[in-house]
Amino acid sequence: MTPQLSWYLALSAMLFTIGVVGVLIKRNVISMFMCIELMLNAVNLTFVAFSSFFHDVSGQLFVFIVMTVAAAEAAVGLGIIITIFRNRESLDVDDASVLKL
Amino acid sequence: MLLQATTTTAHNIGGPGTAYLPVMVFFVFAVAFPVMPLILGRFLRPWKYGKDKMRPYECGIDPETGAHDRFTVRYYIVAMLFLIFDVETIFLLPWAIIFMGKDFSFTLFALIEMLIFIGILVVGYYYAWRKGALEWA
Amino acid sequence: MSLIALQATNPDINLTLIAPELIIGIAGVLVMMIDAFARRGQRWLTGGLSIVALIAAGGASIWLGAGWRGARSAFNGMIVLDDLRLSFTLIFVVVSILTILIAAAWIDIEKLPAGEFHALLLFATCGMMLMASAGDLVIVFLGLEILSIATYVMAGFRRTDVRSNESSLKYFILGSFASAFLLYGIALIYGATATATLPGTTNIATIAGRLNHSLYPPLLLAGAAMLLVGFGFKIATAPFHVWTPDVYEGAPTPVTAFMAAGPKAAGFASFMRVFVFGFPIATAAASTAGYTHKSWLGTLAIMAALTMSVGNIVAIVQNNVKRMLAYSSIAHAGYALVGFVAAGAATDAEQRSAALTSVAFYLLTYAVMNMGAFAIVTLIARGNDRRTAVEDYNGIGFLSPVLAFSLSLFLLSLLGMPLTAGFMGKVMVFTTAVRQGYLWLVVIGVLNTAVSAYYYLRLIIVMFFRERNTPWDAPRLPVSVALALVITIAGVFYLGLFPGRVLNAFGAHPSISLSIR
Repeated sequence: MTPQLSWYLALSAMLFTIGVVGVLIKRNVISMFMCIELMLNAVNLTFVAFSSFFHDVSGQLFVFIVMTVAAAEAAVGLGIIITIFRNRESLDVDDASVLKL
Repeated sequence: MLLQATTTTAHNIGGPGTAYLPVMVFFVFAVAFPVMPLILGRFLRPWKYGKDKMRPYECGIDPETGAHDRFTVRYYIVAMLFLIFDVETIFLLPWAIIFMGKDFSFTLFALIEMLIFIGILVVGYYYAWRKGALEWA
Repeated sequence: MSLIALQATNPDINLTLIAPELIIGIAGVLVMMIDAFARRGQRWLTGGLSIVALIAAGGASIWLGAGWRGARSAFNGMIVLDDLRLSFTLIFVVVSILTILIAAAWIDIEKLPAGEFHALLLFATCGMMLMASAGDLVIVFLGLEILSIATYVMAGFRRTDVRSNESSLKYFILGSFASAFLLYGIALIYGATATATLPGTTNIATIAGRLNHSLYPPLLLAGAAMLLVGFGFKIATAPFHVWTPDVYEGAPTPVTAFMAAGPKAAGFASFMRVFVFGFPIATAAASTAGYTHKSWLGTLAIMAALTMSVGNIVAIVQNNVKRMLAYSSIAHAGYALVGFVAAGAATDAEQRSAALTSVAFYLLTYAVMNMGAFAIVTLIARGNDRRTAVEDYNGIGFLSPVLAFSLSLFLLSLLGMPLTAGFMGKVMVFTTAVRQGYLWLVVIGVLNTAVSAYYYLRLIIVMFFRERNTPWDAPRLPVSVALALVITIAGVFYLGLFPGRVLNAFGAHPSISLSIR
């Protein structure tokens, strides 16, 4: 039994959903951030699967761009997290409530 | 682009099995280089253990705190800088594949383009340097 | 395979077509270098250089619109040149120049690094311009991320203030969450646009041609829905607006002004380009293309109605001026969506172009009056954004008449008083919507305008007719902010009295996105 395209799509949809659920239920900023990275990588998997299935490289090039963007986002995100930790010594989003939600 | 490159190499060297032979040899060496000294060392070194010897090494003085301490924020800044500059090199890969093109008509432009890209990265590096992100104190 | 090889040797590079983006990008890098190497006394250089670069970019895009006779797309359709792009590029230039002027005083008071702020602003502007000029979903995503990453940092620019930190964190988490949705939508559309012989595509014009040949129509609909969610987050439409008030309240006031005007307009530019040109109105309603078009248009009409209502009704109960203006910005996104819906429903190219122009014009008027209002809020708030409650505006009307009268003008314009820019913008958007048969949406819009009168007029009444109990020391009016006020007040009257010239400039060339390939 050779791997089908739908297997990859199902896997990436599952990973994406896990990421979405994680962002919504996790209370620690770092965990939320990791879930967002999981979502991005699920999308990368979709792109690579399609790209390989179509024998077309443009999807893979998209993955390169997504990876660099994710790295830049990670750097900025860690920077923001460090500043917030310096000011309040906690990374729980429930504590971040000076601004009412 | 990727496909084109692999087919031309296959034409020059032989089948797809032999085309990746250099890569495999490189891979074997890359694994062997760190692993061999460890294995050799296991047989060559003397076996003497003591309490002092098994203690964590901290510049020769006795360790004062446990190893599970909070690290200084400097590590994060270096990690962030590494993360960015490490990942940006990803764009060298597709560039290297189309660099020569079919008839080299594109090569000069590609070279200048990549120099500009690296130049922007160097500017970013210099900026981090000047702003003191690399100072360790 | 041969097609790919051909593309590799024929990259279709046309640097002229991305001249505005190039100018801004180069200026951004230069500003970074100046910031790193200049001595303390020369730091004003960065602001001057940024304004010069922005004006040059504006000039370049005007020239591209009026003088350029060459190709209308470049980089194999990645970049397109049409009215939608040019009009939005001009909006971004105006917004960024005003932001620099407003922020100049604030940077001095708070002793913040000016060079960093200007570099980030220029990069954000470059991202916004790329979003408007994108002919391909890759560039949409890239522009969006350049913009977003710079804006996350700007929102947290007052590092020692917990409110600014929180604003930045919330913007970052929800912004990247939205980006991931958008990206998943792009991936699904890439897969769904494949045909039996051709691989998938992310080019917006090509997508439009492939809709009826899609091998997996459900995937296409799912992708479009994901894109709708992603863009909905970015421009803060009703079910996805929850982050907006928090982020706008906590961010430094000049940055809030920028975020409400610039990134929102950029989101609209991409949103409209992707949906109006990528999933256009179809001749056969029963086809995949027709079904896709009908579903997104219906959803968007409902979202527009919701966005207007939620924004205006919740704004009534706000006691913080920045928060009130944040809800007002949600409501204004709703009004602009009405024009977007009209553009989506338009059957011929001319009417569609008129509707797109009306949205661009609306966002320009909103940018001008909103920046003006925030300029005054910045001045009154002082260092650390201390005074932003409605009580802080008690009775300042005759104590600081210049500030109070200009703020009243901007509020009346936001409300949509005749003779002001806000009125003209609303008229344009609502007219196009009526022409496309969306009378119910226009009725909701007009009712909402009536509701919004309450909170805009309340602030004016507070300023002029309420007793002040605490002492009031009038803030000094710095030259830069005075200049920004002159520009915005002139803009409010000019756009309100003589909109024809700008409208003509925005709609001179009908959009050509459909004719590529």
